[in-house]
Amino acid sequence: MANANTWQLSPPTRRASSAWVAATRAAMLFLAVALLSPLPVAVADSATAPMRLDDRESRGGATEVAIPSSLRLLYELGGTPTSLDELMELERHIQRVAARLGTCTVNVSIGAAQGCGVIISDSGYILTAAHVAMRPNKSARVTFSDGRVVSATTLGMNREVDAGLIKINAGQNGDAPWPHASLGRSKPLKAGMWSIAAGHPGGFDPDRGVVTRVGRILSVRGDAIVTDCALIGGDSGGPLFDLSGRLIAVHSRIGNDVADNLHVPIDHYDLTWDRLAAGEAWGFLEGFKPILGVQGNTESATARITIVRPGSPAEAAGFREGDVVEQFGDAAITDFPSLRNAVADTMPGERVICWVNRDGKRERVVVEIGRE
Amino acid sequence: MRSESSHGGSDRVDVPSHASLWHSDRFRRLALFLACGIVACGILDPPSPVRADDSSTPAWLRSRMSFRMLPRRDNVEMRRLVQPLTRSVGESVVEVQSGGKQVALGAIVDPAGYVITKWSELSGDPIRVRLADGSLLKSRVASVRRKSDLALLAIEQPPKSLIPIEFIDSVPAIGSFLITAGRGESTKGLGVVSVASRPIEHQGRLGVMLGDGQGGATVLDVMPSSGAKSAGVVLGDRIIAINGQNEVSRSGVMRTLRGFFPGETVHLTIVRDGTTIELEAPIRDYGMMQESENDSRVNGPRSARLSGFEQVIQHDTVLDPQDCGGPVLSTSGDVIGLNIARAGRVVSYVLPSALVQKEIDEMLTEIEGSVLAED
Repeated sequence: MANANTWQLSPPTRRASSAWVAATRAAMLFLAVALLSPLPVAVADSATAPMRLDDRESRGGATEVAIPSSLRLLYELGGTPTSLDELMELERHIQRVAARLGTCTVNVSIGAAQGCGVIISDSGYILTAAHVAMRPNKSARVTFSDGRVVSATTLGMNREVDAGLIKINAGQNGDAPWPHASLGRSKPLKAGMWSIAAGHPGGFDPDRGVVTRVGRILSVRGDAIVTDCALIGGDSGGPLFDLSGRLIAVHSRIGNDVADNLHVPIDHYDLTWDRLAAGEAWGFLEGFKPILGVQGNTESATARITIVRPGSPAEAAGFREGDVVEQFGDAAITDFPSLRNAVADTMPGERVICWVNRDGKRERVVVEIGRE
Repeated sequence: MRSESSHGGSDRVDVPSHASLWHSDRFRRLALFLACGIVACGILDPPSPVRADDSSTPAWLRSRMSFRMLPRRDNVEMRRLVQPLTRSVGESVVEVQSGGKQVALGAIVDPAGYVITKWSELSGDPIRVRLADGSLLKSRVASVRRKSDLALLAIEQPPKSLIPIEFIDSVPAIGSFLITAGRGESTKGLGVVSVASRPIEHQGRLGVMLGDGQGGATVLDVMPSSGAKSAGVVLGDRIIAINGQNEVSRSGVMRTLRGFFPGETVHLTIVRDGTTIELEAPIRDYGMMQESENDSRVNGPRSARLSGFEQVIQHDTVLDPQDCGGPVLSTSGDVIGLNIARAGRVVSYVLPSALVQKEIDEMLTEIEGSVLAED
């Protein structure tokens, strides 16, 4: 695609700056791919989790709305209302929940990529998708629905399920607590239950604000919840609530079918909270392992490329055999293992600027990371 | 007896194609899966039962289908639940055909045979409307409101028993259910209000970069997947007139082009290598021109005219583009507006009743005026 800014008849007013385009590129790889084959269940039963996220960090929460007794069965078991009166009661309840979702649902931008997040504690912890947070210790820009912007830092990410954690940097709200979501659990969820999704599809739009969607849970798996709350690029990392307004999952990826919307169950954040909060990053989602496509000698003192795999992202980017990789994105490369680690820290679809030493000259190579 | 002045009708509408390319095995498997999804969608309409015992479908696929279809918010049970609401207006909902295929829904707004519908889909003659009783009646465009993308159709030989629909000026809160009524008792979709009512600016573009030319504007670049590209505009072309109106400067050409909505077509007069040629170029949405293959695949089929509205209610109902133009109901059965566009995977737009009613009143008055003038 041509540089958007060169089109005089086509100013990028719809926040279609190159940043937005890059954001969708990065996010869409995740959001555009259907995972049809069932993924292995990566974690143990959440009942064995040693501590609760909300025991430590979260008190109360602004999104919960008490379920009226007449809607209790619909809440607990899911299903279709039995009368138009019950449908209208369900509607009134959803309206009340929807009115509370805007303040804790935030837009998150890191570098050129945009996604969402949901604040879950007074102190400003934000749950998001791993592919939105990307890597630990990056600075993030967090935009509230009313346009207020604060700075944040990425913590850990469990890439096995696409769970990521961010924290708003201290000292930006006086002593006041951040508005945050009420926490639920994903373990009791069943197919058929109603759910409410919020987010900033397509990126942040001040004239529009948060976009609400309502659907039902179509299936519950260990690693993901599938709903017919339609999502698209930019929604990644945004919250999914149950009928009571409690956070149950975080948006992750979609298939082509409008009813293929996958969310990370919230219990995963609880299970691995200590690692996430400590800024650890690990694993990859099946089918999303980042690939560069070069080989080298792990024993040698430099990251010298001995083989560029035909058809690989490295070949497409112009890497050559004999190149010594010195810089890969933010990471200084000292030897082949450090290059391997740097690649593992990227997301498929991400564009990485690299510097190589080629016959004594420093050359710049830009690669779009592939996936296995 | 009314007679109609014919307004507009000359602009053609280009519907962008959404050719899907399946590059990998994964996508091919998905394609198979999607095809099954379409079969399954067909069984959503009441009163057909879910064919769970269909022995021609392999068991693994049946379980996959039932897992996907049964709990959906717009499943058979939900459609059955809201059927009394759609039935209450079904007599007033019509299908609008243009050039032999259904392009939109519409609603009867006057017993004399007037129907409101989405204007930009009416690309070719003949225009016909199918009533609730199944009769197919020849119609013509009686009046157009381009800014709101509305057309008033006149049924040429209207039956006596037409029941007009009543628009209710009420804007439902975020989270409210919206029901898209079809002809007769059918429900075309069910979703919720996603965003408070707001204006939507349009991003209609020809898709060229222009420089100054002697008397006109010279094309310096043509955007891929633009209407200019598909019409055959090339580098070096000098645009000297648009829709027959001479243009003498680059800024003039740009100003004129800005006046067109996505989904409209412009007639360009171009000087190329000393020869004057004429081209028809569709105006397309800039966001759509820029989007990746992935984006356009997950967004699915959309209306060509999907932006540029004074006021819309955004909702999440999954709609086919040809199911726009018809009435949208609240859970209390009020007609709160008209679906005006399918704009993306998560976006459908309703024109609120207040705006629709205002446009209808103006168009009916205009038609009355033209009748008086002819008398």
